[in-house]
Amino acid sequence: MEQNKFHAIGRIARRKDGIAKVTGREVYSSDVTLPHLLFARVLRSPIPHARIKSINTREAEKMGAVCITSEDTPDIKYNERQVSIPEKTYRDRVVLPDKVRHVGEGFAAVAAKTESLAEKAMRSIEVEYEKLPAIFDPYEAMRSGSPQLYDEICLGDTKLPIESNIACHREVGEGDVEHGFKEADLVVEKEFRTGRVYHAQMETKSVVCRPEPDGGISVWPTTQSIHNTRQLLGRIFSISLNKLNVHRVPIGGSFGSSIQMNTCIPICVALALKAQKPVKLVLSREEDMYDHCKYPVIIQLKYGVKKDGTITAGELKTIVDIGGHNIQAYPLLGCMAGWFVSLYRMPHLQFDGTAVYTNKAPGCAMQGYGNPQVSFAVESMIDIIAEELGMDPIALRLKNYVGLGETFWGQGPTVRSVIRSCGVEEMLLKGKDMIEWDQRVSPDKKTGRYRKGVGVARGFHTSGTGAPTPGEVIDYSTAMVKVNEDGSADFSTALMCHGGGTLEAGAKIVAEELGIPIDKVGISPADTRSTGYDVCTHATRGIYCGGASIQRAAKEAKAKLLKFASRLLDVNPEALKIQPREESDQGHIFLPGSLEKHIPVGEVAKMAQYKGWGTAIGVASHRQVNCPPCFVTNFIEVEVDTYTGEIKTTRAVAAVDCGTPINPDLAAGQLEGGLCRGIGLALLESTDYDPETGRLTCGGTFIDYKFYTPVDMPPVDKVKTFFADTYESSGPFGAKGVGEAANNATAAAVVNAIYNAIGIRFAEAPVTPERVLKALQNQPDVEK
Amino acid sequence: MMTYSIETNVNGRPRAAEVTARDTLLDVLRDHWDVFEVKNGCEQGDCGVCTVILSGKAVNACLTLAVQANGKDVVTAKGIGSPKEPHLLQTKFVEHGAIQCGFCTPGMLTSAKVLLDQNPKANRQEIREAIAGNLCRCTGYKKIVDAIEAAAAKPES
Repeated sequence: MEQNKFHAIGRIARRKDGIAKVTGREVYSSDVTLPHLLFARVLRSPIPHARIKSINTREAEKMGAVCITSEDTPDIKYNERQVSIPEKTYRDRVVLPDKVRHVGEGFAAVAAKTESLAEKAMRSIEVEYEKLPAIFDPYEAMRSGSPQLYDEICLGDTKLPIESNIACHREVGEGDVEHGFKEADLVVEKEFRTGRVYHAQMETKSVVCRPEPDGGISVWPTTQSIHNTRQLLGRIFSISLNKLNVHRVPIGGSFGSSIQMNTCIPICVALALKAQKPVKLVLSREEDMYDHCKYPVIIQLKYGVKKDGTITAGELKTIVDIGGHNIQAYPLLGCMAGWFVSLYRMPHLQFDGTAVYTNKAPGCAMQGYGNPQVSFAVESMIDIIAEELGMDPIALRLKNYVGLGETFWGQGPTVRSVIRSCGVEEMLLKGKDMIEWDQRVSPDKKTGRYRKGVGVARGFHTSGTGAPTPGEVIDYSTAMVKVNEDGSADFSTALMCHGGGTLEAGAKIVAEELGIPIDKVGISPADTRSTGYDVCTHATRGIYCGGASIQRAAKEAKAKLLKFASRLLDVNPEALKIQPREESDQGHIFLPGSLEKHIPVGEVAKMAQYKGWGTAIGVASHRQVNCPPCFVTNFIEVEVDTYTGEIKTTRAVAAVDCGTPINPDLAAGQLEGGLCRGIGLALLESTDYDPETGRLTCGGTFIDYKFYTPVDMPPVDKVKTFFADTYESSGPFGAKGVGEAANNATAAAVVNAIYNAIGIRFAEAPVTPERVLKALQNQPDVEK
Repeated sequence: MMTYSIETNVNGRPRAAEVTARDTLLDVLRDHWDVFEVKNGCEQGDCGVCTVILSGKAVNACLTLAVQANGKDVVTAKGIGSPKEPHLLQTKFVEHGAIQCGFCTPGMLTSAKVLLDQNPKANRQEIREAIAGNLCRCTGYKKIVDAIEAAAAKPES
């Protein structure tokens, strides 16, 4: 076992931010306060589609508020997400528009001395709207003669006309799909739909910014990428990047909701620049709910299979209703193609994806980035095929999954790598025993009001977006590690911890590489001035990509440390080793086999300082050239109440192949949290719109937007997790990712379990009690 | 607008403020007194991140009027324990990985504290019910329940 030789990797340690978080000391964006702070409010459209004919801010100004409208903000088109290369970045929005495209879109803002004065000032603004016809259904939106959201946008810096509200379209094919279907003994086809889930991160999007005397600005935002926030603000406001300092602030949950520079950030910056005072903007829950959602999809899926279960061809067509702005639909479609291609081998395949504008809150990345949606369709279909062929669903999966030595598309067709570690078989077989799969009986053998069923689904996610060749997606990280004069060490990186333990893992990587105790590694505060570029903590890349740069920086620091030690001990540096020693609570450098030749790390760093040799410091800016899949498998048991249509999840087994689990306890926590959100996607969550008003039917509140509470979440006591025993040689100490993978298989496992309980196949999520009852009424043979 | 003088004890420290009848305890804690460990998540009593202990009861600070807190004791996560002397619940939250982003944590802890003060041997179901008003989007709740259970007194066998 590779793991046993590690002293830090894989150990359960108290997380470094733990005490601050439990004793109320952690400061989030919404807690940042500064002297002379003004508070901002944003005036948002109550109408789904309108031109702003006039805005009168006189009353607000009389109250002492600073006001901004489209006339005060740069007319520069931007896309809040900056992860793709510019040629593939669709830019359709400005800081404050003169045309609004969904209810809740901001078009003016105020800042005042108190939040209540800001609110009052904002309400005093007079607006004349020219109402435009709105459209909420993607199929209607594509029809000729439908209201158009855009005439043109920018692709990079080039103007791009928009027709029929089609934001972008992608086709990917390999082989001859028609030929593949002809070779098949069975062709299955079905439409699947998933909901418009809200991220529901507990901290609403927030930002504080302060204009600096040199004309620059400091920003404390909720974001997953401080460097992209800095670059975008520099571009929009023509501020030199060295005068723009974006601070990393702990975030109260994200799940993708802050993958971009959120639109509240440039609004707040524009207010601060105009007021020349620091400004704070914290979105209300309602504003946050109108800001972003998960991409809802309609998927038409078709597979051809031989009698023995071999897949001959697959075709996936999708329509994605992206709402009023195109944040990342183009890479999303590419990724969806990749998720489809990388689940099961298909000699012939076709993907066809269309992203459509409608007058709703824009979709953006949310845990899995199209993957839970694709897996929902594919993994449901695998069960359908297994039943048609009379095969065991697990056997069919084992026969066709993309595994060791095969090619995997980590981020669409341009980011491919070869799979070098794979725990798919282990997870399916071990999970099968843990859930007692062999006790499973077919739905027709079940009677009574409550029916239980067990389902399985597989999934995976990419670990980052690196590939042998540069693709459409930027991916690298920078880190700095230095050894201090008491034997401790610090590391700095712009990586972000969303709560899952990314920076904890970074600390363990440094401890392992330097041979010092975990407690001796400090995580430095980060801002854009003092760290090198890191693309974004997204795409499950934190540990695999960010961690790899940390490991490289630590190696460089270690090489210097050993060079210094070699001078002090008069030994070749290559012969020296470092290991933590309990008695001195620090690392010791020693010559194996020698009793005399050893010295504590702190002593070396101190002597190097006294002798003027310098600091043992390492810096690395590194791009991974792979994006290995972290595979997941979920087994879920549900209980369907055939009288009320309510579904409870009663047992679950969640497994992940994340290579070496660096933080096993926190990784298990990721699996549990992912499972909870995946069950929400399957059974509970979606934001619906009233087509008359264009407003959310839940009103933008948690009263009517439900997600699981501790009481409603049955697997709390009956969820088991485990890790596949794999080692990813290209990752830091054998690690891959976990994060997004955790929820990718869940929704499919739930609907497969429902089918096993009552024999009804639900292809549209969420499977609400209403939908269950309606389906039961159409299925009279389900006895009560 | 008419204002009222209120006096409370926040984590043992006397605090006073001039408030309007409509100001909530959450407004006053965060905006007047910089008590930022009491988080703001929804302002409608749905999410529980602003839970504080008001004279022994767990309440949503966003649903409590500031004037209702007059003359009472308010305890927040900072009042339960300190980094040097954390409460057992706080230690167990760290040890059990019950924290991810940490935004719900201060509210979870105050709900859990009230539960264990009133029912030191609370079982898992009672724990789940006690924190039913505290939403967490990160964890799926298992490790939070585990942590509170570990801090509860063991039932006599």
